[in-house]
Amino acid sequence: MDDLIADFVAECREMLESLGGEIVAWEANPDDRARLDSIFRFVHTVKGNCGFFDFPRLEALSHAAEDALADCRSGRRVPDGALVSAVLAIIDRIGEMISAIDAGEELPSGSDSALIDALAPGAEGPATPVAATVVADNNTKGNNSTPRTIRLSVELLDRVMSGVSDMVLARNELARRLREAPGEVEVGGAFERLSGIIAEMRDAITRTRMQRIENLFVALPRMVRDLSSELGKQVLVDIDGGDVELDREMIEMIRDPLTHIIRNAVDHGIEAPADRLKSGKREIGLLSVSARQSGNQILIEIADDGKGIDGSKLVEKALANGVIERDVAQRMSKGEQLALIFEAGLSTAKEVTAISGRGVGMDVVRSNVERIGGVVEVDSVPGKGTRMTLRVPLTLTIIPALTVSIGKQHFAIPRSAIEEIVRANGASVTLETIGGAGVATIRGRRVPEVALADVLGLPNTMKDEDRTLVVLRPSGGDVYALAVDRIHDHEELVVKPAAPAVMATGLYAGTTLADDGSPILLFDPAGLAQVGGVRLETLERGARAVEAPIAVNSNEIPVLLFRGLDGARRALRLGVVDRIEEVDAKEAIRRSAGQLRVQLGEAILPLAGVDHPDDLEGKVRVFRLNDGSHEIGYAFREVIDLRSLDRDVIPADAPGDVGGVTLIDGEPAELIDAHWIFAENLGVAATRPAAQPVCRLPENDAWMQNMLRPIVEAAGYLVIGEKDEISADVTIVSQDRVVAPEEGGRVLRLATDPDAADGLDSVYRYDRTGLLIALKAATAGRR
Amino acid sequence: MNELLLIVSIAGSRVAMPAAAVESVVELDTLIPVPRAPAHLAGLSALRSRVLTVIDCQRSLELGSTDLNDGNLHEAAVVELDGHNYALTVDAVEDVVEALSEPAAIRAAMGDGWERVSLGMVETEEGPLLLVDVAALISGPGAESRAA
Repeated sequence: MDDLIADFVAECREMLESLGGEIVAWEANPDDRARLDSIFRFVHTVKGNCGFFDFPRLEALSHAAEDALADCRSGRRVPDGALVSAVLAIIDRIGEMISAIDAGEELPSGSDSALIDALAPGAEGPATPVAATVVADNNTKGNNSTPRTIRLSVELLDRVMSGVSDMVLARNELARRLREAPGEVEVGGAFERLSGIIAEMRDAITRTRMQRIENLFVALPRMVRDLSSELGKQVLVDIDGGDVELDREMIEMIRDPLTHIIRNAVDHGIEAPADRLKSGKREIGLLSVSARQSGNQILIEIADDGKGIDGSKLVEKALANGVIERDVAQRMSKGEQLALIFEAGLSTAKEVTAISGRGVGMDVVRSNVERIGGVVEVDSVPGKGTRMTLRVPLTLTIIPALTVSIGKQHFAIPRSAIEEIVRANGASVTLETIGGAGVATIRGRRVPEVALADVLGLPNTMKDEDRTLVVLRPSGGDVYALAVDRIHDHEELVVKPAAPAVMATGLYAGTTLADDGSPILLFDPAGLAQVGGVRLETLERGARAVEAPIAVNSNEIPVLLFRGLDGARRALRLGVVDRIEEVDAKEAIRRSAGQLRVQLGEAILPLAGVDHPDDLEGKVRVFRLNDGSHEIGYAFREVIDLRSLDRDVIPADAPGDVGGVTLIDGEPAELIDAHWIFAENLGVAATRPAAQPVCRLPENDAWMQNMLRPIVEAAGYLVIGEKDEISADVTIVSQDRVVAPEEGGRVLRLATDPDAADGLDSVYRYDRTGLLIALKAATAGRR
Repeated sequence: MNELLLIVSIAGSRVAMPAAAVESVVELDTLIPVPRAPAHLAGLSALRSRVLTVIDCQRSLELGSTDLNDGNLHEAAVVELDGHNYALTVDAVEDVVEALSEPAAIRAAMGDGWERVSLGMVETEEGPLLLVDVAALISGPGAESRAA
């Protein structure tokens, strides 16, 4: 509330200041309509705000003045000298009270009725010398507290700044010389002093580039007021943190995104007063804008108490516009749903208004914010409001970075992209090569690994194990590990854009100078990954969401993502892959005994994955699949990555090599049906379900998860949890639970007591045969 | 007044650059290579607090290469293009002369590299000289093939 009052006071002050001239002009010419209007607006605003803040005296004063002025405006009354002075007296009194409110003092005692009475037609103008002096005092006080400022061009500042940078370098050079040739103590002392002064100057000049974010915020109340009156809404703006400083260029960069978000909030977020009353809120909507510094980032929050964003509506709209696929939509978490608002071509507003809602905008907001290395997040509770958070770096030019080296050359990596740094030979880290691609396992997490020396095409002088892994997460992308020779230092670097030919390599974000004056290249982590061949496919909406999607039944199945001989993106459950072998197509692969077979060492195995055996030539890579007793070869072109499988597998229409399709890293991948391959190639007739049946198990039932789940899975079922929105063929619950059977599915109850089981819908939980029959019956019923 | 030209020698040939474009002539110190950059981009060097992108003119003209890390000091002309500073390596910087004519088209056949950077022939007190296009030298051989 204090902030609101402070804003109110500031606003009134501003208006009073600009009114100063108007009042004088109005006094000279009481018929001037424009002057009259602006004075009327002032008392009207004061009146409106007073109602909110409970300042009855202010309200009575402004109300009286408003009435008198309204009469003048409507022509019922001709302003005369007496009225002018009466109004001026009231305005002065308002100014007096406002400064008292600002100072936190009691309102000046005394009755206002004399002032109000003076407004009446024919009344005597009161003498108000006291009030006038108070305002005058106040003005001088205000002037004294305002720091003196001048305007400077940014170019001039930049020149000064580069001069200071030169000075710092010269100082460093001098320091080195002095160390090499120790001179007299006096020289050293003088140098120390110079050095200190230069450091101080550098700080000061860096600060000149900073600007209070207030400059950006100051225009907001006015904008919101205009907007809300246009839309017939009432909005109160609460601004906080205007004293946060950030780079002036950055302020310019966030001006448009911020404006857009606020327009959206007023237009779509905050409801019309009548609707607000209906939903039990106050008529006046509250829009709060706040800024604060957090580390080297600035957080700007824009929150409204409006109707919020309906995630499911967004999803519907996205589906209708073809922005997302239906299967993706089903799996989206709430955060992901809300994040859809940033997709191009999506707007939930039913009608296009002049203010916003043309379906362009939030995607532009996001790309603008991301361009300056920032992030925009959204959180919303339907009916309660929406909160948008902008996170932007403090400055465009000074970037905290880590310096690393390959061989003798140093490079810098922006610290914001670094997740962690681990030694490649550490206990929790293992390095593997899978199909030529590096994979690092860091505390159980598999991340693609790229050797910096390889990416840069520099000679590889160090053993992989001796390197240090820098785990990077490029903005909006997935993590990968970068192997570097050596880690050096954290530094704050002044980064400048590099020449176009350097930028065109896609590897670098800019250049900078090290303390010794030699140039250092700053990497672009996303570019490095791209050149290094790491696919950042989760760059899709999944990774952007604030909250991680809830894993189904929490244990993800690791799969090997690879490219088949026909170029298709496929995945194979890692568990069935024994190892990868490379064979010569001409020698090792031939058709014999009615089947394509591959010779792997001493063994001859059936070979799958080959559509055109005659086209095989050169070296062919083969997965060696093992089901425990038999082995089969599966030919492929290249391994893409190790991934884990989300549960959503869309079953194939007809049985075959490919059992279904799933999304891995946002791109479809065919999931190899190992069971079918073994069944087909081993020549054993096996019953194959047309598609994998689905069984729903309660996630929190340990017995079901630990004991029952393996049996159900062995019976060929895909196991899902209670909250997953897939229709299940069978839902297994314990006896005492009541669950409505799903459409087309059936419910199987497990009894802990053999006598309670009826053998049909309920089965004793250790009656394995009964269980299997029930499971089989469920799928039989489906087909 | 006529345009001033800086006479330099590149790959053994004497050519002229517009002197107004050349900020200064420096001796290159240590060079920081830029991995994966085009071949004619020899690396980065620092001039006070500025970063210079060093262009190997011999490579840009496809007339061989300059070994910049042989321990000798190499002369280079510093130019600014689109806000970036470049150092163009030259064999030697010789003189500044006044142009006595406007550049005229050269009808004799030149090497491909020279053809690409040529702005024409200018008359000077020291005889006719090829006026080179600094921007074309910087963009190097790759740009030409991309444009084609």
